[in-house]
Amino acid sequence: MQHAVVFVEQKSGQTRKVTFELASEARRIADALGGKAHAVVLGPGAGAVAEQLKSYPIDFIHITEDPDVDKFLLDPAIDYLEAVVKSVGPSLVLVPNTMLGRDVAGRVAARLECGLNSDITEIHVESGKTIGVGPKLQGSTTVASGFKSSDYGVVTVRPNAFDAQKGGAGAQVLNLEKPAGKTYAVEIENEVEEASGELGLEEAAVVVSGGRGLGGPEPFTTLLKPLADALGGAVGASRAAADAGWVPYSLQIGQTGKVVSPQLYIAVGISGAIQHKVGMQTAGTIIAVNRDAGVPIGEFADLLVVGDLFQILPQLTKMVEGAKTHA
Amino acid sequence: MKIVVTVKLVPDTNAAKRIDPATKRLVRTGLETVLNPFDEYAIEAALQLKEKLAGDSAVTVFSMAPESGKETIRKALAMGADDAVMLSDAGLEGSDVWATSYAMAQALKSVGFDLLICGGLADDGNTGGVPGALTEYLGVPAITNVRKIEEAANGKIKAQRETDSGYQVVNGPLPALITVTMAVGEPRYASLKGIMGAKKKPIKMVSLADLGLDRAVGTDGAKTEVLDVSAPKARQKARVVEAADGAAGAQAIFDFLRERKLI
Repeated sequence: MQHAVVFVEQKSGQTRKVTFELASEARRIADALGGKAHAVVLGPGAGAVAEQLKSYPIDFIHITEDPDVDKFLLDPAIDYLEAVVKSVGPSLVLVPNTMLGRDVAGRVAARLECGLNSDITEIHVESGKTIGVGPKLQGSTTVASGFKSSDYGVVTVRPNAFDAQKGGAGAQVLNLEKPAGKTYAVEIENEVEEASGELGLEEAAVVVSGGRGLGGPEPFTTLLKPLADALGGAVGASRAAADAGWVPYSLQIGQTGKVVSPQLYIAVGISGAIQHKVGMQTAGTIIAVNRDAGVPIGEFADLLVVGDLFQILPQLTKMVEGAKTHA
Repeated sequence: MKIVVTVKLVPDTNAAKRIDPATKRLVRTGLETVLNPFDEYAIEAALQLKEKLAGDSAVTVFSMAPESGKETIRKALAMGADDAVMLSDAGLEGSDVWATSYAMAQALKSVGFDLLICGGLADDGNTGGVPGALTEYLGVPAITNVRKIEEAANGKIKAQRETDSGYQVVNGPLPALITVTMAVGEPRYASLKGIMGAKKKPIKMVSLADLGLDRAVGTDGAKTEVLDVSAPKARQKARVVEAADGAAGAQAIFDFLRERKLI
């Protein structure tokens, strides 16, 4: 028997969509393993997130509002998570594959002396063992991995890989005790919010991405953003656009940037070299707009429209907006 | 200041890759390896810091890799690193994140450092788990996703770290481990002088026997195992629509979105 424990990423009571995806998946895994589904929510605002989580099929939510979680970098969070997992007992720890999640996963796996299975898009339970499946080697190979003879395992899960499904009888919320005898060395002096545009890029159901073909920073706000807004999505970019300084690197999708799996990916003025493909090839539907019919993205997109993006995008945005108001 | 940069050798992105069906591991024979692209940014950050500090700072490149990777390591030396240490042993083959981090940590303890700089992710395995596990096994403070080292001297480090929505300014003691993002700056190209000089720079080879580990690494020590490898669902070529004008292009996309029930 093993339990499933979800590490919840949250800040000031705001969490990500992936939290609910993991909560739903934790239920399924816990049932298959004969255990319980737990969630761990840390730092100021944890209580508010726990309230939202109660609509999902989790058994226990462990929370603390300890301000140290926000004051010191990562260390208090790791201590709390380790303490919960060890008190719960043998378990599979589910962590979102996000900037924060990746930092957490490696450290907790080391604390638990267990294996780490990363960037997983499917989880199977066979004969009481969990198997994680995910893309490796720049997406050229799909690998299924299991854990060898350990009570614990950690997986990082790609956002948008699982459906969030409400349900359950409402979890029991448990308050965590502060781990004793800990001192923390890395202090957060201040925090600066630069842009809110990239929030949730990895989790957006629709991503509208721009590349070299946009020719400058302005079309990102005048053309891409309105289309993304109309579709309820987020704006991304290719490396060429980020390198040119047109958008911050946090918007970059690809090998050295973010990996996204939205339902719909619209690549505008992006040629689709392997470096970009790695970051978006698992999208549900890929539509490309390019003035060149011979671009590599034509090899793997679902639709390639050859034409002038500056003419096409504003009209498309109007049509999408129109469709919404008539819906 | 002693700066150490961890570097992974990864298969070239553009190279065709093959998995050996028996061992379920990547066939590395004949596959060109390159410096993990993320680690080139770590090298760049180290070189920038060394230049800023002047004095007697040195940059050591550390890599766990087969001896055949030596020439790739020389590329890091050609960029400007002073020397390299390679942890190389057939017994390390098949190591997972746990075994890799454990073996690397023991080797890095004997190398010693004031600042250990890692790339945020590896390009092939895409786990990003090693820096975190190293943090634990080395028992040092860590600052992840650094985009700028504001200060690193006198036993202290101050850095800006990227978050999803901006950045944080954080302070910590040295020695420490940091991971860096692409925002530290484009990795420099090796100069001709650098390439020539790299041939004479020392690469120290370390084997498992030198470490005297008390736990198994390699395939035996790994805590994960690969059960199956397969080709991902191949995507088909795109339906191509030549748009005579903006309206036609927009209509083609709109119809396609309708067809796929996306609006």
